[in-house]
Amino acid sequence: MPVRRSHCLPRTGAGRVAVVAFLACMALAQPPVVHGLADRIEPWILGMPFLFAYLLGVYLLMIGVLIWTARKKV
Amino acid sequence: MEAWVVATGLIFVYLAATIAIGVLANKRLTANMEDFLLYGRQAGFVVLYLTVVATFHSAFAFLGSGGYFYTHGIGFWAAGTWTILVGAITYALGTRIWALGKKFGYITPADLLADFYESETVRIAAAAVSVVFTIMYIQVQAAGLGYILEVATGGRIPYNVAVLILLVVAALYLIAGGLRAVYWTDVIQGVWMYVAVWVGALLLVYKIFGGPVALWRRLAAERPDLLSLPGPEGFFTPGMWVGMTIALSFGIVFQPHMMIRYYTAASARTLKLLGATTPLYLMSLFIPMAMVGLGGALVLPDLAGADADRIFPELLFRYAPAWLTGLILAGATAAAMSTLDSILHSNMTVLTRDVYQRYVAPNRSQGHYVAFGRCVVVVLLAVGWFLSVSEIDFLVNLVTLAAAGALQLMPAVLGVCFPGRRPTTAAGAVAGIATGLVVLYLTRIEFVRPWGVHEAVWSLAANFVATWVVSRLTRPPSSETVERIHGEVERFVYGDRRS
Repeated sequence: MPVRRSHCLPRTGAGRVAVVAFLACMALAQPPVVHGLADRIEPWILGMPFLFAYLLGVYLLMIGVLIWTARKKV
Repeated sequence: MEAWVVATGLIFVYLAATIAIGVLANKRLTANMEDFLLYGRQAGFVVLYLTVVATFHSAFAFLGSGGYFYTHGIGFWAAGTWTILVGAITYALGTRIWALGKKFGYITPADLLADFYESETVRIAAAAVSVVFTIMYIQVQAAGLGYILEVATGGRIPYNVAVLILLVVAALYLIAGGLRAVYWTDVIQGVWMYVAVWVGALLLVYKIFGGPVALWRRLAAERPDLLSLPGPEGFFTPGMWVGMTIALSFGIVFQPHMMIRYYTAASARTLKLLGATTPLYLMSLFIPMAMVGLGGALVLPDLAGADADRIFPELLFRYAPAWLTGLILAGATAAAMSTLDSILHSNMTVLTRDVYQRYVAPNRSQGHYVAFGRCVVVVLLAVGWFLSVSEIDFLVNLVTLAAAGALQLMPAVLGVCFPGRRPTTAAGAVAGIATGLVVLYLTRIEFVRPWGVHEAVWSLAANFVATWVVSRLTRPPSSETVERIHGEVERFVYGDRRS
């Protein structure tokens, strides 16, 4: 049986960029960032509370990474 | 005309339309299992997109999420994370499941696991987890449907009867057209529920508050506790946030009705596009629900416990015109039915393929298994109805428990789809599933969420540890099987380049 390289880490440059970018964005939508820095209620974009608008921005970034990944055919 | 008449009439028109679609799907049906159970593995992007989003979003999205925003505040916006994670999982894992299913003819999650691990014990464990935990999900969806129809009729159709009517309709079109009927109805349901939620929420927000900006301003002034973490009741602690993210992304993906969808795609490219774009729909549906739930807490502050789930229909009946209320409640019905029919279908598939065909009646005709599957739907209908009228619980908690149960398949599935230096073993997979379920029970029932950390985190961590340790101590699958399956994954992901 041939020894295979693990599939747990991406092997292409675009794959590495996609994984790192997605995980970085994911970290911005998780504790401690969310429960610390982002936990503010003052109005921000379109009157939305800061936390809501901040998370919406992060979510759109994450979706952007996924779409970029699909366009790169990773 | 009274509001309840319009609302009920529109819901029944919608139900009649789904049955008609089931009949149409029946005309295209051939008597073989791949066609009846897997849409002939030919689902294109639009159909698959709408069935995935409609299946993911359920009574949970329409009722439970509104109730959660109402009770626990903005913390439920964590939902965005898990919906996007579902897209990423579809992209990275779903495509591999698709490739293996197409190559080796898998129909159920247990097919994939039992083939790699060369173990009937793994097959039984996977089938049992698939069925037991998704039957809970049938109860959730049926209960949601019962709420909707009961509310729409102003209590004239009692909850028990409402649940039965809607279960029968879902079963009818499933029996008639199989997965094709489910997918075709999901196309309508996916569009209808999205439009209904946005239109209903915006109408309410403009009518009650004068617009979203005014809503947010009032919330900040009157209920700032709803706009910060961990929420008024201290629910959204960091441990709960992370746990719900895991349970409601991976946990839902590993439920059979979602995994089976991966097998049905026409191509891997379809699935990749799906993974990249479904989060737009899934995530954005929670924006109007946030406005409904949070705004509802200002104008109807006295709904407690499970009654909080009624906030959307309660607001509609008070503030929206009857025809629009009917259209939106029909959309809510669509949300719940699109998930319910998929769960009925996946349970039917698992019981027919993994139990009946494997152990009770092998080597029968394809038509025989299709007929048996239809009988299973009738039994599941009865079980679902019984569970739904026996107990009604807070919708989201039930979904979370169901999702955390299915989550226990994760290490075993990853062992198949992500080749590592040392393969996971059958004993490791079974030990992991068993350990995960025990820890799930302990951290959910006996010692509820120790240190505020969600049971999904505890159970999955224990599962991974047990899988890893036992896999190091026990015999791996044969080298031929590992080469066959991991070799196929390697070829699919990286082409014929040798690693």
